[in-house]
Amino acid sequence: MTLVRIKGRVVNGGECKGEAIVLTEPFSFIGDFDPETGLLTQQDSPLYGTSIAGKILVCPSGRGGTIAPFIAYLAAQKGNAPKAILCQRVEPLIAESAITINIPILDNFDCDPLKCIETGQQVEILENGEVVIG
Amino acid sequence: MYLTAEEKAMLSGEYGPGIKRCMEILVKVGKASGADRMVRINSAHVMPKEPPDLLAELTEGVSDLGVSFCSQHALMSAFDPEHWEAMGVPRSYALEELKLRDQRLDIYKRVGFYQTNTCLPMLVGNLPLTGDHVSWIGSCAQILVNSILGARTNRDGTVVNLASAITGCTPYVGLHLDENRYAKVVVEFEDEIDTENLTHADLGAIGYYVGRIAGNRNVAFNGLPETLDIDQMKYLMAPLSTSGSVSICHILGLTPEASTLEEATGGNEPEEVILVSKKNIEDTKAIYDLQDNEEVDLVILGCPHVTIQEMRTISQMIEGRVVQQGKRLWLGMPYMVYELAKEMGYSQAVEEAGGIVSSSCMACIPDCPLPEDTKVVATNSFKAAHYVYALTKGKVKAVIRNTEDCLGLVCRDA
Repeated sequence: MTLVRIKGRVVNGGECKGEAIVLTEPFSFIGDFDPETGLLTQQDSPLYGTSIAGKILVCPSGRGGTIAPFIAYLAAQKGNAPKAILCQRVEPLIAESAITINIPILDNFDCDPLKCIETGQQVEILENGEVVIG
Repeated sequence: MYLTAEEKAMLSGEYGPGIKRCMEILVKVGKASGADRMVRINSAHVMPKEPPDLLAELTEGVSDLGVSFCSQHALMSAFDPEHWEAMGVPRSYALEELKLRDQRLDIYKRVGFYQTNTCLPMLVGNLPLTGDHVSWIGSCAQILVNSILGARTNRDGTVVNLASAITGCTPYVGLHLDENRYAKVVVEFEDEIDTENLTHADLGAIGYYVGRIAGNRNVAFNGLPETLDIDQMKYLMAPLSTSGSVSICHILGLTPEASTLEEATGGNEPEEVILVSKKNIEDTKAIYDLQDNEEVDLVILGCPHVTIQEMRTISQMIEGRVVQQGKRLWLGMPYMVYELAKEMGYSQAVEEAGGIVSSSCMACIPDCPLPEDTKVVATNSFKAAHYVYALTKGKVKAVIRNTEDCLGLVCRDA
């Protein structure tokens, strides 16, 4: 199997490997997700009830909810936060949430991560902003 | 990103691990948002909902901030550490909250956060001036400080807000810059509307209606009287950031950055002009209306918090009346306003009638431990109505009425 490499902007750096989960809608730690279980709670999402705990979350962006960084912190304390976040473009709150729990968050890739990455694929994130898929 | 020598020292850990961690967060979030430097703030307003471990981490090594005015927010939901039992808040919820509150309180005292416990900290000493840079939390406090006072805050997340409060600086981006403070949406009124005589509920309906259309764009009202007082502005503006996420609401001829339409819009053509009709106001009120067979169990006043002037009016309205058996009346206001109202005899009038005065949040964010027997809440606040209904997932119904009519729904003659 060939590996695909894409490169993005590092908003918060780090290295890690994990299984991808790809959301098609912007994500918020408040409302879209249960910090007690790590499960997605958006009822109209095809991934409703799927866990994002310990996974590489791929999503278009973040969205509102000023208290989201506190919720991300509670989730991380319980081991229910994602391991990293890859976005088309970050918005302030998802960046703030990831930086608070100090997980890698990258955006602005040379190839759209929503198109290059599928749910279930193995993904490796490197310190320099490269992401190895497959 | 350019950092001053002092900011670099904060980042390198010279001021201790807490300040270092805060600065790391601010620099990273600032870079992600395109800020090229920090700006000093002279006022902060934070939300006492922090996970205690996070609060401890961000304040490690900090003894007393001393520099900026940092007050706390009332966002403790309807939970009041003094009155929760009388308010019918479930014991299990209260005991858990009290434990967390004590952990946070020790830290607040160490770093010197003022215990204002209100969503309107400008009423009790946290009073930035026009042009000041600040970091305030809470959508309502944010729109009021930006619009009425003309001080500048972003809609920061809770951690950037806390880190800004602790370091005294925040990324120089967004609403801190002139060009992002101009109105994109201008609101005007049909001639049929007598703008001199709008009730608090009318103003709330206008705000709720306009917020939905404006979304996150700055708004300027053209045609409201220049004599609007802080209570009227509060009821107009809070719903703009409830149905929408408006951060700045200019009122031409009244608020500090809007002496003329040109000043409010920066001379730019508005993206949209909204013309408000009587029907728009009535239809908006009808969203939160009472059905024939429904009875109100609880009246909530003070979202945003009641001012001393409003408390005076309420105490006059309640004279000679008492809250009916099985019904409740809650008023939200800062402790300091409560003490002044006591000095004036207003607090006693409300309490003797059976009402409860609390320094907690009447919109119940982010959770809602209303008494279990509560079915219908009446309020003069669109913000409270919106959140009570939304956060109880529709299990508790919300009704909008003027203040006097709200009291009539739960009181009888003494």
